[in-house]
Amino acid sequence: MFGYVTPYKMELKIKDYEKIKGYYCGLCKVLKDNYGNIIRISLNYDVVFMAIFLDAFNKDEPQYTKNNCILHPIKKRIFVINNDALNYAASINIALTYYKILDDIKDENSLRGKFLSPILKRYLKKIPAEYQNVENMIADKLNELYAAESKGNSSNLDELSHPFGELTALLLTSYVGKKDNYEKIYNLGYNLGRWIYIIDAFDDLEKDIKENKFNAINSVMNGEKIEDRINFVLTSYGRECAETLDTLPLYKNQDILYNIFTFGLLEKMDRVFLKKKNDKEEKNEKSI
Amino acid sequence: MKNPYEVLNIKEGASEEEIKKAYIELCKKYHPDKYSNNPLKDLAEEKMREINEAYDYLMENKNNNGYSNKKEYTNDTQLFREIRMDIQGSRLKEAEEKLNSINSRNAEWYFLTGALYQRKGWYDGAYSNFQTAYSMEPSNMEYRRAFELLNTANNNYRQPYGQRGNNDLCQMCTTLYCMDCLCESMGGDFIRCM
Repeated sequence: MFGYVTPYKMELKIKDYEKIKGYYCGLCKVLKDNYGNIIRISLNYDVVFMAIFLDAFNKDEPQYTKNNCILHPIKKRIFVINNDALNYAASINIALTYYKILDDIKDENSLRGKFLSPILKRYLKKIPAEYQNVENMIADKLNELYAAESKGNSSNLDELSHPFGELTALLLTSYVGKKDNYEKIYNLGYNLGRWIYIIDAFDDLEKDIKENKFNAINSVMNGEKIEDRINFVLTSYGRECAETLDTLPLYKNQDILYNIFTFGLLEKMDRVFLKKKNDKEEKNEKSI
Repeated sequence: MKNPYEVLNIKEGASEEEIKKAYIELCKKYHPDKYSNNPLKDLAEEKMREINEAYDYLMENKNNNGYSNKKEYTNDTQLFREIRMDIQGSRLKEAEEKLNSINSRNAEWYFLTGALYQRKGWYDGAYSNFQTAYSMEPSNMEYRRAFELLNTANNNYRQPYGQRGNNDLCQMCTTLYCMDCLCESMGGDFIRCM
């Protein structure tokens, strides 16, 4: 479901590129140190983005260390360390992965899920006390989402993506707390969450139809052409994110976040749309 | 809606002159500017709204038999006006309830539903409703504008992405050249040797 919120590399400065890698490796290290080795496979860019975004509200410069990493034995890596936003993001990563796996087991009886779920359950208990509410939030909102999906009487993309938008908004705001920017951060998270949900559903559309799985977009489109509609909705959500970001007082990571919202999201959309187009052309060629 | 004659404090069947006079007097009395730093501000605004509604109603229906209590009040235009105010005032729940209570779905209904969705950030709903409103009444400038604005906003957002990597020297030169031409045509000069 994840991994769509990334920067557009070609417009990124080297220093920002290295910084992102630092956060990425830092998050991986937190997962390893605080939870265990197995969870490191679940690391994904959406959660890294969360850490980068939330850390931007912290005035202190991040601390770095250079070290070896077992996955990259030859070259030393830079890690962001002792960072609250990273610790928080790590607990989100654990809880999200756990509930995603539960869903996989329910949906497709996945073996991988059955193997991983008891391990993750143990990890859940290791989430620091101050972030325990994350787990409940995720469980509640995902249940709401699955309930809405199984009802399947919505004709509106906004309505379908609403619970996931709310979830993302809550995850971002609960770290920052009810301060001045609460509403803006909520709005950014809400739109980003909906963006993730829709692009993910759109990306998996053909696969889900083939495997007869639920897909949000398939449930609203009734066979009509949907590309333009998806494009419009995704662009609108992305625009809302970028506009909101503009009004937020950030202490650091401004360039990275600007890049993600003005280039990264659109590039991801381009890529997904292009993939669909190529797939279609390939199919046509085959039939000729 | 209350009986408009009662709101304006006049007799039923009053002439147009009388209605106007009563309206102007009440406006002076309840004008929100007079209550700007006053706890009664909300009350005054509410009252002002009632007065406006009553006056508009009587003016619109002056050629008919006016307002009658026996006839059930089902004027949608009135309700639409309230919905508009609700949306502008961010009272989205009220607006939604009122919209759901209307059975006849004309262009304005679709337009207002679209506006409500837009306020909520529900762009899929906003787009389809604005589109329906616009196609039902293509001559209505308001509907057309709302529909077009939705699209242009996205174009502006896409611009930096579309132009990425285009800041080359050639473009800089043409920009300077254009600026110079413009300055010269106004009688000034931007770059002397050009």
